[in-house]
Amino acid sequence: MSVLDEIYAKAKANPQKVAFPEATNEKMMQAAYETGRDGYIIPVLLGDDQLPKLAEERGYDPSVFTFVDINDEAYRKGIIDKYVAMPDTRLKEKALNRRMADPLYYAMAMQKAGEVGVTFAGIDNTTGDVLLAAQMMIGMKPGISTISSIGLCDIPGFKGSEGSLLAIGDSAVCTNPDSEQLADIAISACETVRDLLDWEPRCAMVCYSTLGSGQGELIDKVTAALKIAQEKRPDLAIDGEFQFDAAISPEVAAKKVKRESKVAGKANVIIWPDLNVGNVGVKLIQQFGHADAYGPMLQGFNSVVCDCSRGAPVSEIKGNIIISAVRAAKMNQN
Amino acid sequence: MDRKELENKVIELVAVSYNRDASELSTETNFKEELKGASVQMVALVAEIENELDATITLQDAAACTTIGDLVNLVEEEM
Repeated sequence: MSVLDEIYAKAKANPQKVAFPEATNEKMMQAAYETGRDGYIIPVLLGDDQLPKLAEERGYDPSVFTFVDINDEAYRKGIIDKYVAMPDTRLKEKALNRRMADPLYYAMAMQKAGEVGVTFAGIDNTTGDVLLAAQMMIGMKPGISTISSIGLCDIPGFKGSEGSLLAIGDSAVCTNPDSEQLADIAISACETVRDLLDWEPRCAMVCYSTLGSGQGELIDKVTAALKIAQEKRPDLAIDGEFQFDAAISPEVAAKKVKRESKVAGKANVIIWPDLNVGNVGVKLIQQFGHADAYGPMLQGFNSVVCDCSRGAPVSEIKGNIIISAVRAAKMNQN
Repeated sequence: MDRKELENKVIELVAVSYNRDASELSTETNFKEELKGASVQMVALVAEIENELDATITLQDAAACTTIGDLVNLVEEEM
């Protein structure tokens, strides 16, 4: 069973409610419909009272969907009451009511109030819109102040500690993280792979030096981040600084890492020092390693928010919906 | 609310969001150089302004303000 098959099976076993604030978008409605019809999620479409008619006109069985009319005063009032009663929310009633005219904010208010497990957007809204709304409405995980992402690579022929799989981050969101932010990325990445894949994370912070073999400010940032991450979360196996080969190859690690390490040579999570490395890294893995890369999965928020690419095909949107739902199911259990 | 009252109110909200003493702050205080906050603090500030002053400003506009005085100008335009 491939990793995606396993994730799909998990989603089916415990389907989550997923809010779609861009439900009128044709690709989004199709992806919501197909994942709902096949039992992976319970799709909740947000829009006006014409939405059920639109779904029917497009040939979809409306019974697959739950429709939320964002102009329904009574329902909106119920969400607002629940939201403002929560201790860690920022907006008060009047401001929230104003923001909820936008379906993106409405969906996230529903998520915060526990009405849905995930908000899935990004096809009409920009990544910036989604990230800002999530910061305001859902908030960050305690102890984390950085939004970041990881991707999951399935690399044919790679024989790593999780077979052909390797999680990498951040290759998409945080451009030039400082040490504090890099530490946050590593901690969030460990939690993401644990939630999604049930892995025991072994997280390597990589750069062009292994345990002092190189020197300079680019390395200092990584070693400082490592110290912060280890102090914040001593329960997690986060280690470095390692070169990439020392992180994933037992043979190289045996030569270069002359001390005990739970991570060296068997890392299943790689944390890049910045987005230049992250972006080039993922492209190398895809081009030379012929890998499939899933994601980006956003992390750092109090609950799961997914931003899909605006050019994404329906098949990719469906995969990301299902991955988000599985993460949400696990986070809700914790 | 006159300009001075608005300045005092915005300074009070900046103090809450950035966990500073309001007496340390003025309209000349520079966000990047003196407050050095993460984006989550700016999000908190935008939400506080929306709650307390009924002015909806975007995070991008708020983040573009160099000083607290610039932010007061922005809020004043939205009120």
